[in-house]
Amino acid sequence: MKGYTIRRLGRGLITVWLVTLAVFFLLRFTGNPIDYLANPSITVDDRERMKREFGLDQPWHIQYLLFNKGIFTGNFGVSVRWSGNEAFDVFKSRVMATVQLVGVALAFSMTLGLLLGVISAAYPDSPLDRIGKLVAITGQAMPAFWLGLLFILLFSIWLGWLPSAGGLDRVGWKGIIMPSVSLGWFLVAANMRLARSSMLEVMDSEYIKMLRAKGLPRRIIIWKHALRNASLPVITLFGVNLALLVGGALVTEQIFAWPGIGLLLVDAILARDYAVVQTVVFFSAIVIVLTNIIIDLACAWLDPRVRLA
Amino acid sequence: MATRGKADIIERGKPEFRALWRRRLSHLAYTFRGAPKFSLFFLTLTIICAITAPLLPFDPVRGDLSNPLQPPAWGSHPLGTDHQGRDMVVRLIHGANISVTVGFLAVFVSGAAGTLIAVLSGVFKGWVDGLLMQLTDAFMALPFLMVAVAVVSLLGPSKTNVILVLGLLRWMSYARILRSEVLSVTETDYVRLARVAGASNWRIILRHVLPNLSNTLLIISTLELGTVIIFESALSFLGLGVPRPLPSWGTMLADSQSYIYNQWWLPVLPGVAISLLVMSTNLTGDWLRERVDPTRRQL
Repeated sequence: MKGYTIRRLGRGLITVWLVTLAVFFLLRFTGNPIDYLANPSITVDDRERMKREFGLDQPWHIQYLLFNKGIFTGNFGVSVRWSGNEAFDVFKSRVMATVQLVGVALAFSMTLGLLLGVISAAYPDSPLDRIGKLVAITGQAMPAFWLGLLFILLFSIWLGWLPSAGGLDRVGWKGIIMPSVSLGWFLVAANMRLARSSMLEVMDSEYIKMLRAKGLPRRIIIWKHALRNASLPVITLFGVNLALLVGGALVTEQIFAWPGIGLLLVDAILARDYAVVQTVVFFSAIVIVLTNIIIDLACAWLDPRVRLA
Repeated sequence: MATRGKADIIERGKPEFRALWRRRLSHLAYTFRGAPKFSLFFLTLTIICAITAPLLPFDPVRGDLSNPLQPPAWGSHPLGTDHQGRDMVVRLIHGANISVTVGFLAVFVSGAAGTLIAVLSGVFKGWVDGLLMQLTDAFMALPFLMVAVAVVSLLGPSKTNVILVLGLLRWMSYARILRSEVLSVTETDYVRLARVAGASNWRIILRHVLPNLSNTLLIISTLELGTVIIFESALSFLGLGVPRPLPSWGTMLADSQSYIYNQWWLPVLPGVAISLLVMSTNLTGDWLRERVDPTRRQL
């Protein structure tokens, strides 16, 4: 177990390092923030002075070493786009909104997906099963951002029930319904398919037959005994789901003007604001890699076949 | 035409001729048994649109500025016009061209890259395998859309860049699944015999490994096609995909945001097109999968 943990942590570190390395150099290949943001009429001297101010006059490898030093000292550089604020502060001010959005979307998609999957496996051809199948097909086919637009059209414009833009602090809990549902919708479908197939497998297993032979009511077999084992693959996929949602948040936040890091990242990329992009990508990668490590370790702890492989 | 000889011998109009064609039709019907008819129809329609779009005498870019935001109505603009007076039907047909080309080419690129990595790591094993699988894991842990957005915006939005980025960031599932296939193929007796007979690695790869991967490759590709089409539209929606004024369905949705209050057809129609296309590829893929390999129905 110890050896496995160390190996897994090492691999996680390599992943994070690869991500930051790629983003660092790609950013610099394609322009610098001063050229994008500075008034075109300023003199060459001013331009050089501004570059010096933000440390952009150094050769790339020095900048990269400084960036790595910053990771350990907590200094992620100064944002150009957000008027000289610390990049980390800019990131910190926006991260909560995304955590709320992704959290609600994750909870919503996993519970609903699991529920629909179990129902459609346990009660085939019931009305709920039909609804589940519809969700699975539409969820995989409809892009999240289009679903968001449709929600706005239906609930904000035609019915006027829900606000179409703004974070929790501005519009309250009603504002999170549409973004999180449209963000999590495709995962409902994915989780449902997964839960359905694993539920079918579990329902066919020996111990369920045993429980049936003992005369336990079907309701208890399904919801108490089968559900536990059937939900394992869904929980294992938690890490992948998280990565997908963080990525999807980019687009969803754009539609609903949700003030999270997705919106921040797109703005920062368009302005070539190195410091902010690096910070956002670094922390997103850390969170996703850590989640995956924790899940892998949990699986290894539960199942010796994994850690010995 | 392989069957031409027979049809020539049997004369037209004779009962045998009709029986032959009936047999051929029933054979065709058998090939397509259980096929999702609507999906196949819509997929074919989209591909036809994609191929014929550049040949049509309508311009998707130049609009009629005197005629903007017309609602759908019978007449010259059956699905209405957008804010620059461009006909939506023409735009949608040209959008099909973009979605289909980007989708198929990106899947081709990622399939090729994934197969290459799978074959290398499955055949050479050892440290090559370790390194490549490490790389695959690293790529799998990336927040895909985030990296795609970063890379495309840095390379500059263009159709080629979108294809490359989608292709080179989505090879991991191919590599993972195909690698295990390669491993099992290289353990079979006939490959061992080939090795004993002195076949080189490359000969084994080309003669024995690659042909055995084709089914799985087809299955993963159909799964990926729909996803890639959605990601193309997402990138274009963010303004980082296929650049304006080309009518990508994602771009059309992005443009529609300003008109969502009064012009419902602008946000609705391109989305319907994307969803129908992706749904059709998914359902057709499901069907193909069952035809090709019944044991993988859950994949």
